[in-house]
Amino acid sequence: MALLEVRGLSKVFGGLRAVSDLSFALHPGEVLGLIGPNGAGKTTVFNLITGFLAPTAGQISLEGQSLVGLKPHAVVKKGIARTFQVVKPFRHLTALENVTLAAFLHERSRPRAQARAQQILARVQLSARSAAGAADLTLSEQKRLEIARALATDPRLLFLDEPMGGLNPTEIERACELVREIRQDGVTVILVEHHMRAIMRISDRIIVLHHGEKIADGAPQDVVQDRNVIRAYLGERAA
Amino acid sequence: MESFVQSVVSGVLTGSLYAMIAVGLTIVFGVMRIINLAHGDMVMLGMFGAYWSYTLWGIDPFLSVGIWAPLMFAGGMLVQRFLLKEVIPKGELNTLLYTAGLSLLIANLALFFWTGDYRTLNLDYAVMPARPFGISVPIPLAIAFFMAIAITTALYLLLSRTDVGRAMRATAQNPQSAALMGVDVQRIDMITFGLGTALAAAAGVLLVPSLYLYPTVGEILIVKCFVIVVLGGLGSVPGAIAGGVLLGLVESLGAVYVSVAYKDTIGFVLFLLVLLFRPAGLFGVGKS
Amino acid sequence: MTRLLAAAGLLLLASAPLLTGNPFFQHLMIMVLFWTLLGASWNLLGGFAGQVSFGHAVFLGIGAYVTMLSYLSLGVSPFLGMLAGGIVGAMFAVPIGLICFRLRGPYFSLATLAVAEIVRLVALNWEQLTAGPMGLLITHLPPVSFAGATIDWESKVPFYYLAVILAVSAMALTFAVSRSRLGAYLTAVREDIDSAEAVGIDTVRTRVVALALSAFVVGLAGGFYALYFRYVDPDAVFAISLSVEMVFIAVVGGLATTAGPIVGAVVLVSIGEIFRDRFQAGHLIFYGLFMMLVIRYLPEGIWGGLQRLFRDRG
Repeated sequence: MALLEVRGLSKVFGGLRAVSDLSFALHPGEVLGLIGPNGAGKTTVFNLITGFLAPTAGQISLEGQSLVGLKPHAVVKKGIARTFQVVKPFRHLTALENVTLAAFLHERSRPRAQARAQQILARVQLSARSAAGAADLTLSEQKRLEIARALATDPRLLFLDEPMGGLNPTEIERACELVREIRQDGVTVILVEHHMRAIMRISDRIIVLHHGEKIADGAPQDVVQDRNVIRAYLGERAA
Repeated sequence: MESFVQSVVSGVLTGSLYAMIAVGLTIVFGVMRIINLAHGDMVMLGMFGAYWSYTLWGIDPFLSVGIWAPLMFAGGMLVQRFLLKEVIPKGELNTLLYTAGLSLLIANLALFFWTGDYRTLNLDYAVMPARPFGISVPIPLAIAFFMAIAITTALYLLLSRTDVGRAMRATAQNPQSAALMGVDVQRIDMITFGLGTALAAAAGVLLVPSLYLYPTVGEILIVKCFVIVVLGGLGSVPGAIAGGVLLGLVESLGAVYVSVAYKDTIGFVLFLLVLLFRPAGLFGVGKS
Repeated sequence: MTRLLAAAGLLLLASAPLLTGNPFFQHLMIMVLFWTLLGASWNLLGGFAGQVSFGHAVFLGIGAYVTMLSYLSLGVSPFLGMLAGGIVGAMFAVPIGLICFRLRGPYFSLATLAVAEIVRLVALNWEQLTAGPMGLLITHLPPVSFAGATIDWESKVPFYYLAVILAVSAMALTFAVSRSRLGAYLTAVREDIDSAEAVGIDTVRTRVVALALSAFVVGLAGGFYALYFRYVDPDAVFAISLSVEMVFIAVVGGLATTAGPIVGAVVLVSIGEIFRDRFQAGHLIFYGLFMMLVIRYLPEGIWGGLQRLFRDRG
């Protein structure tokens, strides 16, 4: 049984069809990569599924339960967590406080929430920086903090929006490793990423979006050779 | 029918003065993105200026506009340069609080020096209202109306035809891009705030023969001003003019046809509704 | 260090009326406590959650009128009336919050101002309920026997102790919230609403709860106002200036600190009341001045600044 099912999802802004009749299924334990040229609608899809935007049409269900119309915090409580393309840490708080806030979802007492936060910070290798202000962290650390915050809500499904944007090759390698570890822990992952090599390596399956429509859905090596995909990225001549 | 026309005329006359005050507030918001809570007190200062120059030196308020408007323009520029400039980088809310502090300071200094007594300025040529077509029109209000139109038209021409005006509009759209195009944003900020203050003060001078004057009059005026500026769309000059006239009409007609009691309530309810459902203003031209 | 200060402060508070019989000084202390109470409850929403309300007087007025009306029309004991005032205030917080929290930043502030003004105008005009601009008057508060002693409401001393209890309770509430999950959630809301939602925080519910708590305390304070001044009218209890003064006290004292409102109230109210006693008009000059100085030079408020000083000194 699919963990997440999206059917006929559409989002229209005024005259612009940002997402058009999108359908796909996500299975437990998968790592699904979502790629597409800029403006293809990838972050919009994230926003629609996680409740930050309301769909114009279509269905979204998590293990059979509809997510449409739920506010973002309710979607989190159902077990879906996300990171943002441009990191949004709680800037005036420490790394530990950032993650503790997320841990409060399942641990009501401050000491227990803090303990859980420490554990998660260790997983993303930020223990040494737990007392640092979130604004003082490097970009790579901030990205890991954002992932830690999402993990602290104990999600079954994790949406990563360009987790490798702005990172250098060593940091990217580390990030890929982290995604693998997260999957090993039993969390299903969808990620949007522009860094082709990274996303091809870690994804089990790739969906390609172009102008809001799905133009390919399959294993990385197949998608990369798909004519429609090549045409979308490089134009007609290359296809 | 006659009372309807009378209400409309009164509403438009008062509304035009409201509009002038609101235009001052909205250009400051448009260019600098700040909500100046001390704006109403600038009107009050204009009113007092006209009052004193009439009472002490016999200068007719409609002439003393020529003194007070430029003075307050300069004052506004100084306020922006020495007070606001340092505070604006601290954020919208901090700036709002700062202008709230400034407002309280100005109003209470006025209270301290001039007492809270209600004053009026009675012009001898203004005792009897004019009666064109049987509609009663108070003369000071009529003069104020025409002068307000003249001033607002001058402002419109400034904004649309001059380099300064173009620079102001550019800064309102995008300060960074404007700076890249060679606009001295700091100078424009000063000029804009000076203009806003001058407009408020001028409106005060024009209004003083028609309203009761007391140091805390700014409080009601600023609240009305917000209602107008939000209704008309934040940052929009035509919106502020339309909003001002609209509020004048709503108050005037509301007093006659709904009840004197609840006429102010209508304005506030409209205000809330617009904030919630049409934040770009009734005409959709505002920015947030 | 803070504990010692707090203990000394409490001792001083408890014995103060015995140290002076001067009615002006007693009034001053009551006013400082009253505004500490208001500032602390405003701070729950304004400082912790970052939602700057310019209409908090609406709850003061509601509390005042509920207390007045229940005593005058229903003969309910003033204390129960105060409690009722707090509860009704908290009830009003729900619709007010649901409306106003749809807006952010300065727009939220303006909306709260509009709501307060609407309620003031309704109170002014609904003469059947509120006697409109004429207001309501308590001519005589009967003495109450409490723990064997008789409390005579003609003197200021019982009001002083009542004010102490209310103010200390409000501070205790603020302190408890700041350590709790609610307090952490409020901080998250202040920092970044979208991120807060993204970690599972129901930001609307969190803010409404904070507003309801705040409204409850302000409503109680409204009841106190009614009993102490014995006269309420819409322009006195729903006034914009009251709402604004609450903001000033919290900001000048120190937003989002527990002790900030105390400092703000002590500084501003003392200076203000002494000035008002001597010069009558313009006592708010210092409110304006201090606000401008604090925002420009000391954004964490006087107490926040002092805390930083102590921290830096080591």
